[in-house]
Amino acid sequence: MSQNKTIVCRCEDLTLEDIRELIKKGYKSVDEIKRISRCGMGPCQGRTCRDIVLSELAKAEGKDISELKMSTFRPPVKPVKLGLIERGEE
Amino acid sequence: MRTTDVAVIGGGPAGLSAAISAASLGAKVTLIDRNDRLGGQLIKQTHMFFGSQKQHASVRGVDISGILEEQLSKYKDNVEVLLNATVLGLYEDGVVTIEQGEEKYFKIKPKAMVIATGASEKVLPFPNNDLPGIYGAGAVQTLMNVYGVAPGDRALMVGAGNIGLIVSYQLMQAGVKVAAIIDAAPKIGGYLVHASKIRRMGVPIYTSYTVKEAIGKDSLEKAVIVQLDEKWQPVPGTERELDVDVMCISIGLSPLAELLWQADCEMKYVPELGGYVPARDEEYQTTVKGIYVAGDVSGVEEASAAMVEGQLAGLCAAKNLGFTSPDFEARRQDCIDQLNTLRSGPVGAKIRAGLEKLLG
Amino acid sequence: MLEKTGIPTEEQLKEVTPSKERLSRGPVAIIECFQEIPCNPCYTSCSTGAIKELVDINEKPEVDFDKCNGCGICISNCPGLAIFVVDESYSEDKALIKLPYEFLPLPEKGDMVKALDRSGQVVGQAEVVKVVNSKAQDRTPVIWIAVDKELSMRVRNIEMGV
Repeated sequence: MSQNKTIVCRCEDLTLEDIRELIKKGYKSVDEIKRISRCGMGPCQGRTCRDIVLSELAKAEGKDISELKMSTFRPPVKPVKLGLIERGEE
Repeated sequence: MRTTDVAVIGGGPAGLSAAISAASLGAKVTLIDRNDRLGGQLIKQTHMFFGSQKQHASVRGVDISGILEEQLSKYKDNVEVLLNATVLGLYEDGVVTIEQGEEKYFKIKPKAMVIATGASEKVLPFPNNDLPGIYGAGAVQTLMNVYGVAPGDRALMVGAGNIGLIVSYQLMQAGVKVAAIIDAAPKIGGYLVHASKIRRMGVPIYTSYTVKEAIGKDSLEKAVIVQLDEKWQPVPGTERELDVDVMCISIGLSPLAELLWQADCEMKYVPELGGYVPARDEEYQTTVKGIYVAGDVSGVEEASAAMVEGQLAGLCAAKNLGFTSPDFEARRQDCIDQLNTLRSGPVGAKIRAGLEKLLG
Repeated sequence: MLEKTGIPTEEQLKEVTPSKERLSRGPVAIIECFQEIPCNPCYTSCSTGAIKELVDINEKPEVDFDKCNGCGICISNCPGLAIFVVDESYSEDKALIKLPYEFLPLPEKGDMVKALDRSGQVVGQAEVVKVVNSKAQDRTPVIWIAVDKELSMRVRNIEMGV
């Protein structure tokens, strides 16, 4: 804590530098960044970080956010215990 | 599998209103909310609402929640309320999966649904933004007004929109000193009457300022703010240090649209409405038949508008399933007129621009 | 500038201020609402018809100072807490101001409190004349304070203590 880090993804402890580094390396979408870094895969499911990643990508690409590929949204929208699904419907 | 006529996802101002109006036409309604009580964010809104009597103007948000619950209870024979229930997924065959508590998991197949999931707070990247003491403004409002916990002693509010101004005032009501309100924009974004009532408490409002960094060892001790030029770039030498142990971020809301993406509704990026919002028709039906939207998830706006959107979406969702009433058309038109009126003035310009982009 | 600081300008205030003559005649409502916002409880709560109908809900409110009797019902109904009643007929050298105040502890009748201007600066002292906090105020109490007459258009808030 308090190392002058700018946190983008709290859940997976990723900083703005981390994200910019990945963009520099050629990761060009929210999903690509997610797969390589787990950004957005924690408890908040991207609600905190997604907007920042999108705006960083837009800045780097010189594009409008609307021109970028949005991430894929799949159920469940929040983390659930595996047992919940394993037990099946009530 | 359970069925229902209209599933309403989210029990805030929009969802409650949608449930009431769909039920009033005779539809069987299932209202689903993840919290242990209905009302959404209304339950922490201790301030009076704007608008007209139809949108409960001059009544406090928390009391409006009670009024809406009362109205809903009139239809208890055809309304089922599921609390502590989170919709986890929305599938292409129209099935909704729900987790209730941590133990129950089940599916519902509604004939139509109104998605009123609201919005979440946007965050701001700056050095040490993970220090304890840095919150979303809405989170602080919940902490104080729902749980009765003051977040600290001295606060910096980042964002002079209505939420930032209102929460600043409520911080002071809770006995927290507000050191300043800053906003990156050159003008105050919220209603100026809110700004004036905080200003006369002695709180300075600095427009064209942003957070440069937070400072603190184990928790927030200082905030450094910096002035922005016309191109929104920091002006060197204009940094100021504020001794604060609380920082509230209130820079806007993002629609909570995951379920709409899952359902493959057509989404459009409209910054004026908070980000990606669903394309929809005048009745608030998305591009997926039977899926309606209302409230902040359809475009971030005031709660007064959310309630009217909910009424409209609930009415139309029920009507399109065959439920109706002699005054249906008059009620539908009344909702549309109310929305147009709420948005017609200068402060509605941004919403109108956003809707223009969305609806074309 | 109001849009930058939250403090209305002299020109804006001039537009909503009754004449000296009207002020000296007795209590009158002053609505410091300078932005067209969709809101009309001031009009709907006014029982004397002094606040003109807002045909378009976004219009700024306008008070007919001759019809207004300064009852102050509108004060607690204004969601923006932007309405004040000023009475310069109160006494030889003091004016009465009725203002909304939503903080605890509430002052009590007879208390001396700090009188604050629109920027929150202390500009003098005020004596609390009455605290109106019935059901009609619905948790927006109205505090009646007496201040030096020349401060009647400057004081818009109070702070406990002297």
